[in-house]
Amino acid sequence: MSAMSAGRYWGRIAAVAALALGLACKREERRFNATYPSAPAYASVTLDTLQPGVPSPELTVKSPAEGNAYDIAQGKLLFAQWNCTGCHSHGGGGMGPPLMDNEWIYGSSPENIVATIVEGRPNGMPSFRNRITANQLWQLAAYVRSMAGLEAKGPSPGRNDEMQYKVDEQRTPFRTPRASSSKTLPAKSQRP
Amino acid sequence: MIDRGATRHIWPTHVAVQAAVTFLTLVAVGTACTGGSEDSANAKTLPRAASRGTAGNDTLVARNGIGAGKITIPGAEAEDGQWLRPAKDYASTRFSGLDQITTANAPQLKLAWSFSTGVLRGQEAAPLVVGGTMYVVTPYPNILYALDLSKPGGPAKWKYEPQPLAAAQGVACCDVVNRGAAFADGKIFYNTLDNQTIAVDATTGKEVWRTQLGDINHGETMTMAPLVVKGKVLVGNSGGELGIRGWLTALDVKTGKVAWRAYHGGPDSLVLIGPRFKPFYETDQGKDLGVTTWPPDKWKQGGAGAWGWISYDAALNLIYYGTANPGPWNPEQRPGDNKWSSTTFARDPDTGEAVWAYQVTPHDLHDYDGINESILLDLPWKGQTRRVLVRPERDGYVYVQDRTTGEVLAADTFGVVNSTSGVNLQTGRPVVNHEKEPQMGKVVREICPASPGTKDWQPSAFSPRTGLLYIPHQNLCMDVEPVEANYIAGTPYVGMNVKMYAGPGGHRGVFDAWDPIARRKVWSVTEDFPVWSGALVTAGDVVFYGTMDGWFKALDARSGALLWKAKLGSGIIGQPVTYRAPDGKQYVAILAGVGGWPGAIVSAGIDARDSSAALGFANAMRDLPNATTKGGTLYVFGLP
Amino acid sequence: MTWAGSIFDTAGSPAERIARLAWFLIIVSAVTYLLVLAATGIAMRRARVRRTQGELADTRPETGKRLTRNVAIATTLTTLILLVYVSATALTGKAIAWPLNAQQPLTIEVTGHQWWWQFRYRDSLPSNWLTTSNELHIPVGRPVRVILLSNDVIHSFWIPELHGKQDLIPGHRNTMWIKADRPGVWKARCAEFCGHQHAKMAFDVVAESPAQFAQWYVRQLASALPPTDSSAKHGYDVFVQRTCIMCHSINGTEAGSNVGPELTHIASRPSLAAGSLPNTRVNLTRWILNPQLIKPGVRMPPNALSPADMTALLDYLETLK
Repeated sequence: MSAMSAGRYWGRIAAVAALALGLACKREERRFNATYPSAPAYASVTLDTLQPGVPSPELTVKSPAEGNAYDIAQGKLLFAQWNCTGCHSHGGGGMGPPLMDNEWIYGSSPENIVATIVEGRPNGMPSFRNRITANQLWQLAAYVRSMAGLEAKGPSPGRNDEMQYKVDEQRTPFRTPRASSSKTLPAKSQRP
Repeated sequence: MIDRGATRHIWPTHVAVQAAVTFLTLVAVGTACTGGSEDSANAKTLPRAASRGTAGNDTLVARNGIGAGKITIPGAEAEDGQWLRPAKDYASTRFSGLDQITTANAPQLKLAWSFSTGVLRGQEAAPLVVGGTMYVVTPYPNILYALDLSKPGGPAKWKYEPQPLAAAQGVACCDVVNRGAAFADGKIFYNTLDNQTIAVDATTGKEVWRTQLGDINHGETMTMAPLVVKGKVLVGNSGGELGIRGWLTALDVKTGKVAWRAYHGGPDSLVLIGPRFKPFYETDQGKDLGVTTWPPDKWKQGGAGAWGWISYDAALNLIYYGTANPGPWNPEQRPGDNKWSSTTFARDPDTGEAVWAYQVTPHDLHDYDGINESILLDLPWKGQTRRVLVRPERDGYVYVQDRTTGEVLAADTFGVVNSTSGVNLQTGRPVVNHEKEPQMGKVVREICPASPGTKDWQPSAFSPRTGLLYIPHQNLCMDVEPVEANYIAGTPYVGMNVKMYAGPGGHRGVFDAWDPIARRKVWSVTEDFPVWSGALVTAGDVVFYGTMDGWFKALDARSGALLWKAKLGSGIIGQPVTYRAPDGKQYVAILAGVGGWPGAIVSAGIDARDSSAALGFANAMRDLPNATTKGGTLYVFGLP
Repeated sequence: MTWAGSIFDTAGSPAERIARLAWFLIIVSAVTYLLVLAATGIAMRRARVRRTQGELADTRPETGKRLTRNVAIATTLTTLILLVYVSATALTGKAIAWPLNAQQPLTIEVTGHQWWWQFRYRDSLPSNWLTTSNELHIPVGRPVRVILLSNDVIHSFWIPELHGKQDLIPGHRNTMWIKADRPGVWKARCAEFCGHQHAKMAFDVVAESPAQFAQWYVRQLASALPPTDSSAKHGYDVFVQRTCIMCHSINGTEAGSNVGPELTHIASRPSLAAGSLPNTRVNLTRWILNPQLIKPGVRMPPNALSPADMTALLDYLETLK
C-alpha cells in the first residue's frame, strides 16, 4: 500500500466514479414512461430533396432513441418479434430489401425510417399506422440504423445469442448512405 | 506483503499468481478466438447418405432405361407442334414429338430471334405456342405478350397488362415470379401475383373475365400456372411462409365463376373429403384429420397452398397435385401430422372430391413442400403393367406410386439425404432422423437436403423413347435454428433461422437421367449453381436445360454428352419449350432472367453478409452476382 | 397483490417433505442456537464470577485440557449437525425429484417469458393441446409432469404449496413432477431474478377435482365467439386494427401473435398482468392505458385510446370468458 493521503485516495475514487457514471449514464438510461415524439412530429418530414423554388430548410426531428443502448436493444427485440426479420432477414433482405447496406430508397434518417414504417411503401412495405406506438417506432428506427452501421458502436447491440449468421451490429462497418437518397449524413457524434 | 529486507531474488507470490492468471487467460482467449469465425459459404465435410442413384457415367456411354419403348403415356396425343400448357401434356412429360433437331445437328443451333420482356425479375414461365402465336407471361407486373411467329423476329402482336396491386410484392416469399399460362377454349388463362385468375382472348388480347380469389392481407399470392381440365381452370395459392389457408380452386372456363374449392386444412367438408375418399395408408385415414392433427385452430394459419404442378388422367378422371409446407416452419408450434400439408391428392376434376391422398411428409420439419410434378406413366412393374405416377420429391426421394390407389411402390433417394433414412413402404411414412430435428434454442447443423429440397418446383421431363426421367435439381445442406413465430396477418410466419451451403462434393446443381424402373441414375451432370430451370426432352433425343449463370444447354438424352450451349444475357430459371413455327421448322424457346428463391440475391439485391437472408439461400449463392445480372429476355433457337 | 403462499400450507407430498425438512432444520437450529446462547451465557457468567473473585484467567493445565476437550466436542457436534443438515436436504431433494408413478401423467409445458407465464397442456390429440397464460389448473390426485422452458432468460417455477423451485433455462429443458393432494387456490411466483419485473411475475394455481378440471379444460379449448352487440364489435375492431394484434392472440380470430399472453379467455382469469392485479374492469383500463405505471419496464407499451374506443375494447374483452 503506497503512502497516499486519504484525501487523494478518495478523490481519485470519486473522479473515476463520476467519469463512469457520466459516460454510461445517458447511454444506458431506461425511460419506461417517457413520451417520444409522435406522429405529427415526423409526418411533416419531407422525403424529397427536389423542391421547386428555393428548398426549404430541413425539418429534423431529434430521435430520443439515438445513442441509447436500451432503446436499440428493444428495437432489435421488436424487429424479430413483429416479423420484420421475415422480410428483411437480419439486415440482408429477402422479400424486402436489405437494411444493412448503404442503399436507402426512402431515406436513412430516423424520421425517414419511422415514416416508412408508419406509412408503408408502395412496393410491398406494409403500413403499421396505429399498430406500433411512438416509442417503439423510434426504437425500431434506431435498430435499423444500427444494422447499417449508422449508430455509434457503444450503444449498438453486441453478439447475438442465436445462430451466428452475421457480424453483430457493434462491428458492422460504417457506410455513408448515398447523399442523394438520404436527408442528412449522420452527425459526427454518431459516427464510430 | 513483501519483506523489503529480503535479499533473495525469488518472485513474490502475488506477482507469480498474477502472471500465471494472465498467461492462462491469454491461452483461453486465444483458443476461443481461433474457433467460430464469421460465416462464409463453405462446403463442409458432410455425411454420405446411402443413395441409390450413384452418378456414374464418365465414359458417356449412350444407353436407354429399362423401360425404353415399353412405357406408355396415358392420354398421349399426336404431336401437333404446339405447346398449349407448361407441362406440354396432361401426363406432365414435357416431351415433344418433334425430331428435326437431333443429336447430330444440335451443335449447329443458333439464335433465331430474341424478345425483351422489359421485366427484370425471375423468369420462371414456360412460353406457350398456339398455332402461329407465342404467349409469354412475365413476373410482376404479370404482363402477357402475344408474339407473332409467322413474321421474322417474332414481333409482339399485343400485350395485356392486368395491373396487379404493387403491394403484392411485399408478400411474395421467393421473388415475384410467375410459372406461366395455359391455353384452352380460345383463351389464355393465367394468375396474377395479387390473387386474380384472368382469362384473355387468345386472338384479340381482350380480357374475357377476371376473378379475385385471395387476399394479400392474408399473405396470399398466386404464382402457379393453371391447368384447364374439362371446362375448369384449376388454380392454387401460395404463401406457406405467411400463414395462409391453402386451397385448390376450379373456375368455370367460360365465366370465371368458382365451381369448387378444396382447402388443405380443416374439417373434411372443407377439404372435400367424402364417401369416395379411400387413402391407401392407415396414417391418412380418419375423420377431420385436417383439424385433429393441428393444435386448436392452427390449421387456419397452416399454409399448405398448391403453387406447383397438376397432372390429369382422363381415363381415371382424376387430377393429381401436391400441397405445400405447413406453417410456421418452426415445428414445435404445430405438434401433430399437420394434414393436409405436403400431401399428394387425387381428386375428381368435376366436383373436387378427394379420391385418395398420401401425406408425403407428415409433420414437416424442414419446409419440404409437396408441390412437385407428378408424371403419369403406365409402366411394367414386377411383371405387370401398373398405372403409376413418378415424382422426384422435395425430400430427396423419387416416388413411384400407383395412381389409382396411392400405394407407394418405390421411394429411392436421388441426392444426399440425412433428414430421413428411408420411406417405410408398409406404413407409407418416412423414417425421420431425429438427430436432424430442429429444436428451439438449439442449432442443428448439416441437414440434407436443405429447405429447397433435393428438387424444388423446377419440373423434370420424361422421354418414352429412352425411358428416362430428366431431373434438374440441387445439392444443398443447411444449419437451422427455430425461433418463436408470431402470426400477424400479412407478415411472414416462419420462425426459423436458416443458413444453406453446398452439399457434399461442393457442387450446388445436378442434372440427372433417372431410370424409374431400375430405380437409379443412368447418367448425371454436376453444375456449380443449382439447376433451377425446367427440363425439356424431344423425340430427336435431345435434352435441354439452363443454368443459373446463363448457359442454355443441349445434351444427348442417352449419354448426357453436351451437344451445344449458348450463353444468354442472364441466368436461366425458366422452362424451355419447343415448337414447330409456321415456317415448318422446329425451334426451342427459353426465358432468361435470373431470380426466384436462389436468384433473389441478384434480382432483389440481397446483401449476403447476412447469411440468413432470403431464408438462408443467400449464403449458398454469394458468388451468383459475379456470374450473372438481372435480365428478362426470351431467346429462340433454331437450326440454320 | 397478495402475498399468500406458504411452504407450510402443503398440498402435495413433495411439499410435505420440504416442510418437514424445514421444520427439522428450524428446530435443530433453534435448539442449537439456544444451547449456544446458554453456553455463551454460562461462559460470560463464569468469567464475571472469576473476575469478581479476583482470580485471573485460569491457567492450570487441567483446565486447559478440559477446555480443549470441550471445544473439540462442540466442534465435532457442530460438524455432525451440519452433516445431518446436508444429508437431510440432499435426501429430501432426491426424494422430491423422483418422477411420480403415473400411467398417463398430465404433461404441461411451462414457458417463462419476461414477465409472464405460458402453459401448454399436451394431449394425445394435437387439437386438444391447450395453451393458456398466467393461470394453471391441475386435477387433484393426478401426477403432473411439468416441462420447463424459457423464452429469454432464466426464470424459476415455484408453487410453494406443492413443490420446491426449479429453473427455466433458455435452450434447456427441465422436468419436474407435481401432484396436488387436495383442492386449493394458490399464488405461485417466479423464483429467479429475471429482470425489472421479476417481483411481479406470478401466476394463479387452481387445483380442482378431475371433473371440474375437465370442464375447465373444455371451456378453455373453445375458441372465442364473434361478438354480437355493437359495442363489443367495435371493440373487436379496435383490437385487430390497433396495437393489440401485434402481440396478443385470441383463438378464433385474426389475432395470433405470441409476443404477449394469449387472451382467448381473459375475462375468466382471476388476475391480470401475471398475477399482479385483480381482474377488474378498472384494473384492466389502467393496465391498457399505461402498463408502465404498474409494472415499469414491462414490454407492453402505453396505449392512447379514446374513451369510446376503450369502453368498446373492454366490452369486447369482457365477452372472452
